[in-house]
Amino acid sequence: MSDLLLLTRIAGRPAAFRAGDIGSIVELTEITPVPRAPDFIAGLAALRSRALTVIDSRKALGLLGPSETTDMRAPVVEVAGHSYALLVDRVDDVVPAAGEPAPTPATLGACWAQVAHGMIETASGPAVLVDVAALVAGPGETAA
Amino acid sequence: MDDLLADFVAETREMLQAIEGEIVAWEADPADRERLDAIFRFVHTVKGNCGFFDFPRLERLSHGAESALSEVRAGRRHASTGLVTAVLAIIDRITDMIDAIDAGESLPEGGDEMLIAALEPRRDEPDSETIQAGEQAGPRAARTNGNTRSIRLPVELLDRVMSGVSDMVLARNELARRLREQGADPALQGPFERLSAILDEVREGATRMRMQRLEHLFGALPRMVRDLSSELGKQVMIDLEGGDVELDREMIESVRDPLMHILRNAIDHGIEPPAQRLAAGKREIGIVTVSARRTGNRIVIGVSDDGRGIALDRLAEKAVAAGVASAAEVAAMTAEQKLDLIFAPGLSTADTVSQVSGRGVGMDVVRANVERFGGSVSVSSKEGRGTIVFLHLPLTLSIVEGLTVKVGSHTLGLPRSYIVEIARSVSRSVEVDRLGDGIFLTFRGERVPCLDLAEVLGLDQEVDLDRATFVFLRLVSGDLFALAVDRVLDNEDFVLKPLPPALEAIGLYGGTVLLDDGKPILKIDIPGLAEAHGLASQTRVRTVSADGGTQEAVASPQHAVVFTSLTGRRRALRMAVIRHIHMLPVSAIEHAGDGMLATVDGTILPLLGAEGANIATETITALRLDDGESTLLYAVGGVVDSLELPDTIVPVEGDDTLEGTALIDGAMVGVVDAHRLFARHGRRAAPAQQPTCRLPTTDPWVVSFLEPLIRSAGYEILGEDDRRAADISVTLDAAREPDGDGTVVRLRSRPEGSDGDPHSIYRYDREALLTALASARSGTR
Repeated sequence: MSDLLLLTRIAGRPAAFRAGDIGSIVELTEITPVPRAPDFIAGLAALRSRALTVIDSRKALGLLGPSETTDMRAPVVEVAGHSYALLVDRVDDVVPAAGEPAPTPATLGACWAQVAHGMIETASGPAVLVDVAALVAGPGETAA
Repeated sequence: MDDLLADFVAETREMLQAIEGEIVAWEADPADRERLDAIFRFVHTVKGNCGFFDFPRLERLSHGAESALSEVRAGRRHASTGLVTAVLAIIDRITDMIDAIDAGESLPEGGDEMLIAALEPRRDEPDSETIQAGEQAGPRAARTNGNTRSIRLPVELLDRVMSGVSDMVLARNELARRLREQGADPALQGPFERLSAILDEVREGATRMRMQRLEHLFGALPRMVRDLSSELGKQVMIDLEGGDVELDREMIESVRDPLMHILRNAIDHGIEPPAQRLAAGKREIGIVTVSARRTGNRIVIGVSDDGRGIALDRLAEKAVAAGVASAAEVAAMTAEQKLDLIFAPGLSTADTVSQVSGRGVGMDVVRANVERFGGSVSVSSKEGRGTIVFLHLPLTLSIVEGLTVKVGSHTLGLPRSYIVEIARSVSRSVEVDRLGDGIFLTFRGERVPCLDLAEVLGLDQEVDLDRATFVFLRLVSGDLFALAVDRVLDNEDFVLKPLPPALEAIGLYGGTVLLDDGKPILKIDIPGLAEAHGLASQTRVRTVSADGGTQEAVASPQHAVVFTSLTGRRRALRMAVIRHIHMLPVSAIEHAGDGMLATVDGTILPLLGAEGANIATETITALRLDDGESTLLYAVGGVVDSLELPDTIVPVEGDDTLEGTALIDGAMVGVVDAHRLFARHGRRAAPAQQPTCRLPTTDPWVVSFLEPLIRSAGYEILGEDDRRAADISVTLDAAREPDGDGTVVRLRSRPEGSDGDPHSIYRYDREALLTALASARSGTR
């Protein structure tokens, strides 16, 4: 397991991704919306010659309320051969993990618990360690 | 060690594939020393390798085969059928073991000894007879073996290189755009263009890396044919052509099953048993030919047999019995439509269900599978003479021809293969009716259901049907429907990328596409869309009503494409002549003498319509015209519309490039004389007639080219089934002359005269044709 974490904020809360899960960070300039797509898919974007599916992380968690995305930088992850860009509130920093992830506490709430690997301590405080495969599957998949 | 083992498995498999065909060929000609050597080398190599890995069973098997074969090589033994079968059995066992080793399993013990024992000469075989070696045949021409130097690469690495190259192309396009915007500095322009040209070459090379020769697919066929024919008690020879044609490796995999199926059909249903063949006056050995060739950006694979062919009447009876069509429908079908019944679900021409085919997987499944990856299947057959099945395949799976359309703020892609026509609402050739919630179009006398793409996509704003463009799509089942869109943007080649599961689940899209400018769009999944809206009937066969042919053709309205010429004039060209609309980069155009040439899809074609025009843009639009034999490009400024041509076309004096002028949407539009275009530039020519003239109106060339000319010469056209006597009749090439029908004018397709027919006229020799018409008329009157 990689010791480095990418710290972000999703719906105002700290969320960490394993640096090993992240392929790159892209600056999203234009998102092509997809009619009839589930709510949590913001659309398509291009990364060089690849097409990225842009995931609205907040909605993928099943959280209500408008997106607070201010940062157009998005982490790019690859799940089952497909590339996704994750829209988050903002991308903070890459920090080393302090210790192993702790089990998901029960009080995290259903939405977060679905996508959490656990909790992890970092130099900038604790964060939820996100399971990218669960995140890109969206709320419908995990709720079922 | 694991790496070594993987290499051993891969290498052995590759060799196995390569020698399959050799074995069968060797059986046919045991004196063929080269093939014997190739097989010997294989077992020898396997033996050497597996000794190294400690696979005693493999070693024993290959040793047995090696010893037997070396006897043959030394001339002490004859390659009998028994020996070949035994060697094949051993090779099969080796294949199984290799698979087991690869999977990390162990193959059940036993049986090996039997296989090895089978190699021993049996007494009843003339094994010990003196072998008549191939000396009489004289020295064999050395076969070129494809041993060019090669290395093994993981496909994943190739894909990475490919995507890197694609990235470079996009970056290049972006850079080109910026350079243009800033006014190019010549010092930069030169190197940039060089870089650009190199990049195009690299891209072509990278694309070819993913290609495989069809040999890989063909290698397994001789063996299959051999096993199958002996199982069925038939004698079949296979003939392979075009193994050097290259195809995307994924496409090769996709085409494997359909091809095998067709081949099985050919042997099982097509080729008769030897006795029947002899009785029919054929050689007792049937021949199946598999040939591949590349035409433009498609590959055509033909599978032909010289068997009994398809009995149309029996096929029709079966269709009626199976409830695919009613007796009345069948009675009204042309031969072609009847033949098409072979693709109906649940139909087979076999009387008995054999072990080999006829297990309910029919040609309908083959067609559906082939169409799934953008190909098509067609069949032609002559009863008693044989059948030929053509598979038309795109070069790659990942590039499809597409059309981009705009709905609201969304750009979407439609695959071209389904599109039959595009019409605009404003052209008034389409009538729109709203019935219930549905939209129905009346277009050329046909009522066609229509979907509003905006509604399908759930957009807020529906397509304004008064200004919409309708894209007519024909499904595999033959059903026609239309999509209403705001605007049609462009023709593009789509490089398809797979969809993530969440988007695939919507059921509307078939992939993502990156446009030239790097923008991603979605490709609509047409069959999925039609099914979701209940537009596809599952059972109906493709029974397209007789279009074009027969007597109706004379009366049916002619359609034309209206465009602006490069000099800004409005012109029209008859639709039947137009095959395709190309976007050509200016760099693909060359001046050659007085004319111009352009390259499209790797071929050079004459480009017309651009004379004297000042081309300021980087790309131009060109219509591809085709008379069935030759192809021309006609440059246009822009395509305006396609519509029905009015009945009256007024001839114009002084401009012989025009057939006449037509009144279209209240404006005068010059109708380009396609006949003259081809006469002048198409390297081939045509003919015509007067008062009444009989024409073979089943020929598309006649309808599109000849008929307008003859009509304009003042003749009334009689179809072939018209009972009235004609003053003149025109026949093409070797066609039979109609009886008692005035003067006969024979046309030939080639400029050079044929010896057997000194009086025929080259079909674009307008003068000679008109002269012949004139003299025929003065003769009859």
